[in-house]
Amino acid sequence: MRTYLEFALKKFQNKMVYRLDFFMGMINTLITIAVYLCIYKALYGNASVIDGVTYKMVATNFVIALGLSQAFTFNEMFMQDKIKDGSITNEFLKPVSFKLRMLSENIGEGLFKVVFHFFPALILTCLYTDICMPKSFANLVFMLLSMMLGYLVLWLISFIVQTWSFWLFSVWGIVTIKNVFINILSGSLLPLWFMPRPLKTMISCTPFESIYFTPVRIYLGQLSGMDIFKAMMIQCGWILVLYLTGNIFWKQGVKKLVVQGG
Amino acid sequence: MGELRIALQSLKMSIHTRLQYRVDSAVAALAVFIRESANIIVIYLALLKFDRINEWNVNEMLFLFSLLFLTYAFVVSLFADLRYFSDTIREGRFDRLMVRPRGLLFQLVLNNADIIASVGHGTLGIILFLVSAGRVGIQWNTGTVLYYTGTIIGGVLMQGGMFIIFSSLSFYFVETGSIRDIFYWNMRKFAGYPISIYPKVIQIIMIYIVPFAFVNYFPAQYLLRKPDMAQYPEIYMYLAPFAGIMIYFLAYLFWRFSVKRYKSTGN
Repeated sequence: MRTYLEFALKKFQNKMVYRLDFFMGMINTLITIAVYLCIYKALYGNASVIDGVTYKMVATNFVIALGLSQAFTFNEMFMQDKIKDGSITNEFLKPVSFKLRMLSENIGEGLFKVVFHFFPALILTCLYTDICMPKSFANLVFMLLSMMLGYLVLWLISFIVQTWSFWLFSVWGIVTIKNVFINILSGSLLPLWFMPRPLKTMISCTPFESIYFTPVRIYLGQLSGMDIFKAMMIQCGWILVLYLTGNIFWKQGVKKLVVQGG
Repeated sequence: MGELRIALQSLKMSIHTRLQYRVDSAVAALAVFIRESANIIVIYLALLKFDRINEWNVNEMLFLFSLLFLTYAFVVSLFADLRYFSDTIREGRFDRLMVRPRGLLFQLVLNNADIIASVGHGTLGIILFLVSAGRVGIQWNTGTVLYYTGTIIGGVLMQGGMFIIFSSLSFYFVETGSIRDIFYWNMRKFAGYPISIYPKVIQIIMIYIVPFAFVNYFPAQYLLRKPDMAQYPEIYMYLAPFAGIMIYFLAYLFWRFSVKRYKSTGN
């Protein structure tokens, strides 16, 4: 455990070296959120509530979901690069789990972006526009827990797609397409309240809702009591399913791996 | 004529390079297409619910977007190497161009057409145009077709001109990537939607500083005449095709002036 914490910390510190990166990342997050806030402000026009959803709730959804989706990005070509240049064999020789190392480094990077890109952007956004406060302190705590589960769902989906680089020439295209699906269906670009009903029903059968929308709903108090517990169980269920699926691909891939030369 | 032959040869080479990996290239082009469609899908779904955004309906929005994608398809095939020009300088690859008997900008423009991105953006632009052009009430006659063609050329030159200006800055500063990211890529996120939905500051930037408004908003206004045009001087609609040519010309002068200062990074 200590080793992996160390990995996460190293990555976090590595990122700290580039000050410009901090500034650019923040601007990027801020502008991305601002564009969508302006779009929805114009869409709402003079209306204050649409389908029981206020503009303030929409703004909250964007700040959390879109802001976090900017922070929860990592190098998804990592495994492919390791396989392409054959250095993945070195990883197998080390006395640490490759998967856990990947996860902890990605978490370290994600944490950096949450602290230095997301928080400043969040504060600046709040100066410009009103967002909802968490329903209660407990809701905030559960939201943070649920956010972490959401991160795991997101990471495991990425992991599965990355393992396909054992078979494919390049996974860039598939990773990009996967991210479009995640961005749209997780509600980070379009609040899921406004999805057409059939599409919404479909989404509730996929892991996408578990990524950002569940934490947002907990934060806003749309879920409470047992419903929070249920939603988090669903998140855990997806984590289990995705973990097992990823493991199958990983095992098959490692078996198939042939590295030329050395 | 020699120039044209080199241009065609160079384009053929770019295509051949990509065709070495056919399946991968096809998947990559599809990925670009889908990635860029994301914003379209999102606004489409939003308008199913809300119907209009500042009086623009869904077809008008698609038309507005189509201009952005169509022009960008040309921009990435012509100005691909200028996108990351600071790298070209830092790695000393620029010196190679200086010893060749052709204009520097000419060589850069021809180098490395990004065919994949071009196909992805272009296909999307054409589809959006075909879907929307018949449904937004534009009378397609000689005048509008000429204006439309001019506006596409202007839009390409406008964005090409911006790339040239950012590239020229590389002669003064080692690292210009962030300036370009802020002023081009970040501002581009605002383009695509009617600029009237933004706060005044953003509108001013989009019109006067990073003039994306002349790439799609004002041209679309000329053809569609939406009520939100009332906030802006009417002349901007007529200027749109020429603004690009002007920016490109200024960019070219700035480039000529800056190249003289070039000192190699050495080694």
